[in-house]
Amino acid sequence: MTRRALALLAAALAGSLAAAVPVLGHENRPGFLEMEEKSPGVYAFLWKAPSDGETEIHIAPVLPPGCALATPDGQQLTTSAILVRGTLHCEGGLAGRTIAIEGLESTATDVLVRVRHSDGRLESHLVGPASPSVTLGGSTTVSQRAASYLKLGVEHILMGIDHLLFVLGLLLIVSDRWMLVKTITSFTIAHSLTLAVATLGFASAPLPPLNAAIALSILFLGPEIVRVWRGETSFTIRHPWVVAFAFGLLHGFGFASGMTALGLPKAEIPLALLLFNVGVEIGQVFFVAVILLLERSFRTLEIRWPRWVEALPGYAVGSLGAYWTIQRTVMLFSEAR
Amino acid sequence: MRTRVPPAGTLAFFAALLISARADAHLVTTGLGPVYDGIGHLLLTPEDLVPILALALYAGLRGARAGRLALFVLPLSWMLGGLLALGLGGAISAPVPALSFILIGLLVAIDVRLPDGAVATLAGSLGLIHGFLNGPALAGAGPGALGLLGIAAVAFVLVALASALVVSLKAPAARIAVRVAGSWIAAIGLLLLGWTLRTRGV
Amino acid sequence: MKATFARRHTSPEGLLALLVLALAMSPARAHVQAGEAAGFFSGFRHPVSGLDHVLAMVSVGLWGAQLGAPAVWLLPVVFPMVMAFGGFLGLAGVPLPGVEIAIALSAVLLGLAVAKEARPPLAVAAVLVGFFAIFHGHAHGTELPTGQSGLLYSIGFVVATGCLHLSGIAIGLVHRWPWGRVALRVAGTLVAIAGFGFLWRAIR
Repeated sequence: MTRRALALLAAALAGSLAAAVPVLGHENRPGFLEMEEKSPGVYAFLWKAPSDGETEIHIAPVLPPGCALATPDGQQLTTSAILVRGTLHCEGGLAGRTIAIEGLESTATDVLVRVRHSDGRLESHLVGPASPSVTLGGSTTVSQRAASYLKLGVEHILMGIDHLLFVLGLLLIVSDRWMLVKTITSFTIAHSLTLAVATLGFASAPLPPLNAAIALSILFLGPEIVRVWRGETSFTIRHPWVVAFAFGLLHGFGFASGMTALGLPKAEIPLALLLFNVGVEIGQVFFVAVILLLERSFRTLEIRWPRWVEALPGYAVGSLGAYWTIQRTVMLFSEAR
Repeated sequence: MRTRVPPAGTLAFFAALLISARADAHLVTTGLGPVYDGIGHLLLTPEDLVPILALALYAGLRGARAGRLALFVLPLSWMLGGLLALGLGGAISAPVPALSFILIGLLVAIDVRLPDGAVATLAGSLGLIHGFLNGPALAGAGPGALGLLGIAAVAFVLVALASALVVSLKAPAARIAVRVAGSWIAAIGLLLLGWTLRTRGV
Repeated sequence: MKATFARRHTSPEGLLALLVLALAMSPARAHVQAGEAAGFFSGFRHPVSGLDHVLAMVSVGLWGAQLGAPAVWLLPVVFPMVMAFGGFLGLAGVPLPGVEIAIALSAVLLGLAVAKEARPPLAVAAVLVGFFAIFHGHAHGTELPTGQSGLLYSIGFVVATGCLHLSGIAIGLVHRWPWGRVALRVAGTLVAIAGFGFLWRAIR
């Protein structure tokens, strides 16, 4: 088989992989359930179903017995409801009651449950597939909430295959250690900037075009990687940190979608923003470290890869970027219609 | 710098053991989907994690070629074993992990000079058997074949990193630190075997 | 991958630290169960809880450091395995007579060896240490509480024993200075005296 044919095969493989795991490439936003006590036993109720941007996730909170929900437009709390607002009446308050999330076990998403009691106590729990229910009781401490935001950040980057693929593309382009540090740092600064700007509500980006643009940023790196192989040069290859910064601004809006969906109260945002961002960076540093260590280990073990295997990461970046760009652009237009 | 490797290396190795040992050896749900569940399962199951690391250390002691062979043979045979278990069902109840600890630990401690082919065979058998043992944890409500993919991926990364690290160790003291680690692993296996016999009332 | 950036070597310790970090960050750590972790810590506590055991283990390290290579690395490689074999016998219910006396005697003899800076042939030293290691392991094996997680207990046990050896060897590094040699011999004498105390208690 010729090299070109093998490269095509590799691209086809990567493409079918992308088709097989479409859900991995998208923004996953956790669900959000908030109850704010207005008068004893009466709560302002808000439920936002989670979303991964493309498919619907069918989950809904199961209210404790003795609680009744009244909604202004008669909306029911069903697993297909996206957003439910209303007033919750609970005899004797929510303390000691258990709230479960129906259907959460069979998903890969989290729900943040927050309760503000009339005495000002705040409790917040991150429930996931492993523990789909929570018993409300005492307020959570700042460190517990901080840990859950940190976890959310790590999860967000680990599930965001598109962000990781962009970082992989950058790693394939940079040529020395100093450039690597500059590039990863500028990507980090850029996405932290827009993450903060978007979370604090100064700016926002609509999700469908944003996703398409992020896909485009991955696709953009594909040809640059091929140039590196051919020993050619370009602006991106000479100054990858500039590109990393520019596209990092985009990716920051993507990260923000994992947080703005929570609809956190103003006072909580600085803490959440900081810890979520730290979580994202931990995940990213971990990914970069594993890739670099693996590459180094392969050299120590004197592995001589066939050409097409060496090209595989590059083709994966390019072809997955192209696939997502097309897919998300099509979605953009089909939604606009 | 080089001479500081042995204590730091051994310490780090057992710190890793400690961290992994603190968790339960059962099915892990990370909430991040089956692939990550598989990854979590392996990292939190010392019965599987320690023999993989021990094999990587041994392959590293035998040199780059043995490391290469183990790197590819182990994850593939682990997948194969796991798929067999998912297809056939059933489980082995013999004290397999203890025997793996003892066998591979001894090989590392004594630094037995087996040929590279034997290292590959060892990696293949270890992967097949332990992969097969993963079957019950993966089947049913478990993460299934995708979880197996996560397990094999972590095994690949761990073998690559650990064996390359050992290959790069040139100082005799550093190689001895690796052998000390092997002797500890064999010792753990012996105690585990005794414990298994005792709890069964043999 | 264009790989020039990693050509210069970082230290292997750095790599290991990263590996540990990687394991520590495993998202599933949140699901650690307290009962399982207890197995590790009770295993870890066991070897360091009895003074007779601790003194004998540290003396092995001290003596190894005095003897220098190859004993200094042969002992920490062989000892854990032989001791685990003793533990295996204890767990399997194989009776071994005079365990308490042998343990006390090991403290006496190892202490004396350090005090006299004895230099027997390597094989003799190894057999002596190995012989006593079986008794130490056996004592721990028969005392293993039931209902523990066997693997985690074993890991804790071996790690604690190994750490005792390593601290003995680390202390023994003072052997390179003249005052250090004297200090080691004094320490050996103290261990031997303590050993006589244990022996008296065991025989009575």
